[in-house]
Amino acid sequence: MSSKSSLLKVILLGDGGVGKSSLMNRYVSNKFDTHLFHTIGVEFLNKELEVDGRLVTLQIWDTAGQERFRSLRTPFYRGSDCCLLTFSVDDSQSFLNLNHWRKEFAYYADVREPESFPFVILGNKVDVTERQVTTEEAQRWCHENGGHPYFETSAKNAINVAEAFEEVVRSVLASEDRPEHMLPSDTVDLCRKPRSRTRCC
Amino acid sequence: MLTAVLCQECHGGTTITCSQLHLYVIFEHEGVFIHSSTEELDDQDSLISGFLRIVDKDGDVVVEYKPLEDTVDPSNMLCACKDSSSVVEWTQRPHRSVDQQLSYETEWDMVNAVSFKRKAHTNGEGGSNHLHERNKRSFSFNVADLRSVTVKCEGWSYLIFCLRDDTTLPAIHFHQGGSQAFLDSLRKSVQLSESPDDENLLLVGTYSKAFSQSFENLLDDTNYGLVQKFKKDPYTTTFGGFSKVTNYFFDAFRPSESECQQRPAEEMADILGELIPGLEINQQEEPGFEVITRIDLGTRPEVQRREPVLLENWAKHQDSEGRLSNVPHLKHLIFKGGLCHAVRKEAWKFLLGYYPWDSTHEDRKTLQKRKTDEYFRMKLQWKSVSEEQEKRNSRLRDYKSLIEKDVNRTDRTNKFYEGLDNPGLILLHDILMTYCMYDFDLGYVQGMSDLLSPILYVMENEVDAFWCFVSFMDQMHENFEEQMQGMKTQLIQLSTLLRLLDLAFWNYLEAQDSGYLYFCFRWLLIRFKRELHFQDVLRLWEVMWTGLPCQNFHLLVCCAILDSEKQKIMDRHYGFNEILKHINELSMKLDIEEILIKSEAIYMQIKNCKDLPHSVSEILGLNTVTDSSTLETSEYGVLESPQSSPRPAHRQDQAFSNGHGLLQETSRNRCKVAFIS
Repeated sequence: MSSKSSLLKVILLGDGGVGKSSLMNRYVSNKFDTHLFHTIGVEFLNKELEVDGRLVTLQIWDTAGQERFRSLRTPFYRGSDCCLLTFSVDDSQSFLNLNHWRKEFAYYADVREPESFPFVILGNKVDVTERQVTTEEAQRWCHENGGHPYFETSAKNAINVAEAFEEVVRSVLASEDRPEHMLPSDTVDLCRKPRSRTRCC
Repeated sequence: MLTAVLCQECHGGTTITCSQLHLYVIFEHEGVFIHSSTEELDDQDSLISGFLRIVDKDGDVVVEYKPLEDTVDPSNMLCACKDSSSVVEWTQRPHRSVDQQLSYETEWDMVNAVSFKRKAHTNGEGGSNHLHERNKRSFSFNVADLRSVTVKCEGWSYLIFCLRDDTTLPAIHFHQGGSQAFLDSLRKSVQLSESPDDENLLLVGTYSKAFSQSFENLLDDTNYGLVQKFKKDPYTTTFGGFSKVTNYFFDAFRPSESECQQRPAEEMADILGELIPGLEINQQEEPGFEVITRIDLGTRPEVQRREPVLLENWAKHQDSEGRLSNVPHLKHLIFKGGLCHAVRKEAWKFLLGYYPWDSTHEDRKTLQKRKTDEYFRMKLQWKSVSEEQEKRNSRLRDYKSLIEKDVNRTDRTNKFYEGLDNPGLILLHDILMTYCMYDFDLGYVQGMSDLLSPILYVMENEVDAFWCFVSFMDQMHENFEEQMQGMKTQLIQLSTLLRLLDLAFWNYLEAQDSGYLYFCFRWLLIRFKRELHFQDVLRLWEVMWTGLPCQNFHLLVCCAILDSEKQKIMDRHYGFNEILKHINELSMKLDIEEILIKSEAIYMQIKNCKDLPHSVSEILGLNTVTDSSTLETSEYGVLESPQSSPRPAHRQDQAFSNGHGLLQETSRNRCKVAFIS
């Protein structure tokens, strides 16, 4: 590949068991495994895609959700271009915890302006019939917390997953033009200096 | 609030009265016991557990032993005290009750105003050469008054101090390891030399210049700035702290949660920005960091594995009453070949310490009955919590919810756990819930279901699986604790080993910001459970549970796997991300026999090395006992008495073998270790 590809780092956060790994696997490999293990530590997968004529490598980071592992998870937040806050529509607690996750991310990711940082909210497991969180509730939360895009997804039934990730790319590209992201390879330097994020609200 | 809290009771508050007194804890180790079998206490309580410390009190180096209070739960004590560093300053606070001391309140303030100048030596003046009468089982003495130390091994190590006035102090028993680390710390203050007449006797010589490479070297001006930043930020420390001198400060400077939360984001960013690239600094440019020059380990010997132990082999080792005989040989066989599956159900109970090796069939029947009652009593506790109660118990609710989620995501392709409503799933769930009752402080942490699953699979019995799991968790507990101390320690130890085995590779990892070996996190947290096929996990675990050929053998397993991957990683110029990805993707592609062969070969290679850095022998427990045969019995000694204390079963001797290993190494300045400062 001769053309330079933008590398975008995105991170999936949310309570344990909401389907973070499943969403990643569905999107990257188009597979769903009901027997998937819960994540220990941190993993990531790359996926190349073209959005609006631009070639992008999405580097999707998946983390363990339990509070105990926070100190081993948070160092990986830095340098994220987008954060996918994930809950499960059949688990109201995971929805209530979105605030916590948003704060944790903003704090450790070195986000200067959390208000304008591109978060995308995913309400996963819409295939489940017993919902505990309504679409309206979720939309209201997104509206009240910075007008973030909201997607209702099912990693199991492949509903809205690709759409959500494409929206991630659009929201990042739209939010700022960042030439320093034009890297010739698919590596990202975790240690790069904090960027100044200048955006208009 | 600080994570490192030292209980006043452990410090002999009576001696600390001067408000100007600066007090440095040079060494601290808990789980040191005095045996008082002649006393009123019966059964296992005749062991008195306590703290052993070496403290620098304004230049006087004092050894203190303090028993834990009877009312104090040792598991709390572990949490409360293990993070304490070797450099602390006493701050005057109002005295608190024991309960309050156990909370994470500040009793000791970490190096805020510690003066880094240490007095050149101690001359013994004003030394407190006396036993405190206040508590007949506590003692303290100035090292200047120490005449000799008798080092003995009885399955574990114990030390007897003899003072210059001929006072002989009660023997202190290191049931949880640490004697070597203690002696090494002691060597920084006094010269210990083996008596020509008795190899078990260490005579105290006159003061040596042992302090020369001690802590103050690491706390020079250059590093102090770093230290302060570390104090402010534990999280970047997690990321960057597993290498260089900073290892050592990792816990010492961990600030309170609240302190951290209040810090403005900009400041945080600055710290991150400065600290993480700091990892790229070549260690040779960094003052105060020791470098092991290339040590010739010699060739790696050929190692043969053997066939698994069969039922008849196992039976041959049992006498008519059911006692296992020639246990060292049996363990050796298991180490070399593992067990055939038919033996596992019984043998694992011994290996894990649920059954004592010398118990008879009768003993075991009695034990099992008692343990069954105990299990169901605890099971009933959570079973009988009503919905209403649960609403008011968020911790129980959280544990339960996570257990339910994780049980559904553990080994579901294994026959024992597959499909819906498989009884195996219910057992997995119930045992984990009961474990929460057994150890509510720890509760359930992700990864524990991985550790239980193979045990339950082998035991096929709820009660036996539970107690075997309890024993395994005794070994793994620190990995899962709030501060994940076990994980940090192991990553540091692994780094030390790797540096010895392949400095070039270690340097490569350092250059890729991977020197803290984060990518081994999953390996260590759940002992390769996710890396190997299920049957291979069973093999690896039973081999590890023999305690052979050395302590922390699992770290050599890590080294063996990395040894096979290092060329690929370096040839392909993998960076931080690719290394992580590459290692994650090794999962299910590893060959257990190949790994075990290599791990053992690496062990032999290290063992045969004459110029072994001390930190390495410390990690592997080499030279801590007189010869390899007693090394083996030392493992048994611990394994055979699993009920004697809450979690004794060969708990790794971690407390002081981590970052301190580096210091010991440098201070002893041998084994071709160069100290650049």
